[in-house]
This record gives sequence, structure tokens and C-alpha cells, in this order.
Amino acid sequence: MNPRIAFAVVLAAFPLCAAAFGPSDYIYLPAVTYGEHEIDFKSGAWKQKSGENPLSASSIGYGYGVTQRWFTELYSKYERPGGETTHFDAWEWENKFQLTETGEYPVDTGLIVEVERPKDRSEGYEVRFGPLFQTETGKIQLNGNLLFERHYRAEAALPLQLGYQWQVKYRWQPKLDLGFQGFGELGQWNHWDPAEERSHRIGPAVFGKLALGNRQAIRYNAAWLVGASTNAPSHNLRLQVEYEF
Amino acid sequence: MRRLLLIAALLPSLAFAADLEFTLVIRDHRFEPAELRIPAGKKIKLLVDNQDTTAEEFESHELNREKVVPGKSKLPVFIGPLAPGRYPFYGDFHQQTATGVIIAE
Repeated sequence: MNPRIAFAVVLAAFPLCAAAFGPSDYIYLPAVTYGEHEIDFKSGAWKQKSGENPLSASSIGYGYGVTQRWFTELYSKYERPGGETTHFDAWEWENKFQLTETGEYPVDTGLIVEVERPKDRSEGYEVRFGPLFQTETGKIQLNGNLLFERHYRAEAALPLQLGYQWQVKYRWQPKLDLGFQGFGELGQWNHWDPAEERSHRIGPAVFGKLALGNRQAIRYNAAWLVGASTNAPSHNLRLQVEYEF
Repeated sequence: MRRLLLIAALLPSLAFAADLEFTLVIRDHRFEPAELRIPAGKKIKLLVDNQDTTAEEFESHELNREKVVPGKSKLPVFIGPLAPGRYPFYGDFHQQTATGVIIAE
């Protein structure tokens, strides 16, 4: 089987099986841009089907492409549970490693490793890691990631959890590309939750880059996600805006 | 499902090498040649040779590539297989002068 077709089949199968992580989560891409500075703003909100109060989250970070294969970023994260005021939630250190040269192989690969220190010390440290995959055919770009997450030194420690992300992007114009994104959580990595307890959300997305000249640009992506399983939020609006320089 | 995940993890090992190589020189913040003809339907290794002392970023929305090439260095950019057509590219750090097009035919 053509490797790109096999990759697409795997992506298509994700929503059939089963959410981690938060309303402002974004799709990790395996490529690194060496020497690039970035101020990164992310925000998102979701509404639960069960009528629970909505939750919104946001973060602002600074990142830098240290080498051709390593990008590092430090975030300050904020949260606003329904009915409460916005408060500081956590520090996060994200490291992305580009494992293969873009386009050299049928599937590009990368690795994400994040360490989060919540304000609530009882949550310990949250570690998230996983492989990142990307391929393209013509004007279509496909991404699929597996994410493993676990809290260490937490009062209530859960086993290693498994989540996933995917996106399909049609490269229409530099300022506006169109596509779909999906996020989900499956439960314990080697013993998934029952299907009704897994979370899947999927929806249309837009992407783009606005060149400002003099090595500066604004890059954005946003998605309107709807719950595709009973345990998923009914609606999730998410947005990421990056200022690159 | 776990088998599908395993397939995803192993896909990168199904590698194949680029079969054609072309060189694109950056000199005085311009690409040489500014118009590069390549065969359509083939995977191409584009060796970007930056002879300037300052960095340049090879960028193209049409090719879905962004690559920073430090001054006095060479780096590969893999493109294709491409359908016949014109694929503009530019140097993001010197957009006024560093422009070019790849013609797949």
C-alpha cells in the first residue's frame, strides 16, 4: 500500500475509536524553523453537553528555533472555569524535535515533549510527549499525532493517558487555507476507556500566514469543533495566533 | 486499532531516496537560476547553496516549504513529486530581490 494512503487510513480510523487535554489545545507540526522567534497566543473555550459550566483557557508564550531540529517554547497558561474569573493556571515548557527532513520520506516525523508545572502543586508535574507525523499529496497536507500524558508527584496520580490529534489542510492561498481538525482522548494508553467514555471532537478549521515584511509574519489557525462522542464537549472554539520574527 | 497505530509509527521506515538533484544558488540575495525547470512527477532534492554571508529563508506556499539556510552553507530542500505547473518561491529575508519559480514539466 502506498505509504501516504496507509497514513490517511490511520488518520481516518482515529475518530472511530475515541479528549485530554484542554479547550485551547492545538495541532503540533513536526517541522522546526531554525532561528525563528515566536510570540504565541492560544485561546479556546468549550461547553459540556451535560450542562456543566463552560471552560475557557488561554496561554501566551515565547519560542525560538534553537537549531534546525529543535524548537523550544515557554508558556504561561491561564484558565477561566465558568462563573469564575480568569486566573493563572500553569507554566509550561515545550520542546519539539524534527526527526526527518521535510519531504525526504513519505511521512515527516517529529517528537513533542512538554513539561507543565500547575499552580496547584497537588497536581505535581504534567508531562506530555508523543510522535508527530505529516505527509502531503498535491495541495493536501495531513497531520496525525499521538500524545501520551501523565502527572508525576501528584496527589491523585492517573496512569499514562493516550490522546490524539489530526488535521487535513487544503493549501488554497497563503492567507487562507481550509481544512478540518480533530482531537480526542482514549483513556489509559494500554487499556482504553469504554467507547462511551472516550472523547472525540471534530470540525472545520482555517489557517493562514500574513507576511508583514522585514522577516515578520502573523500566522493563525482556528477551528470550530463539535463533540463526536457522548463524553465530548458539545462545542469547542479554539484559536492560535503566532507573531514570528 | 493498535495495529493501525503501529503502522503509523513504522511509516517513516518506508523511505525512498530522492532520485534527482538540482542546485539553487543564493548570491547577492538573489536565486540563481531564478527559473528552474524540473521533471514533473519526480521527487527532487533541491540543494540550496547560500553563498551570501547572511541567512536566507527559502519559502514557498505552493511547494509547502520553509527552510532557513544560514550564510555560507548548503542545505537540502526536498520537493515533489509535482504536477506540471509553475511553483513560485522567494527568500523571506530579502523578498524584494530573492524571487524565483520552479517549472515542473
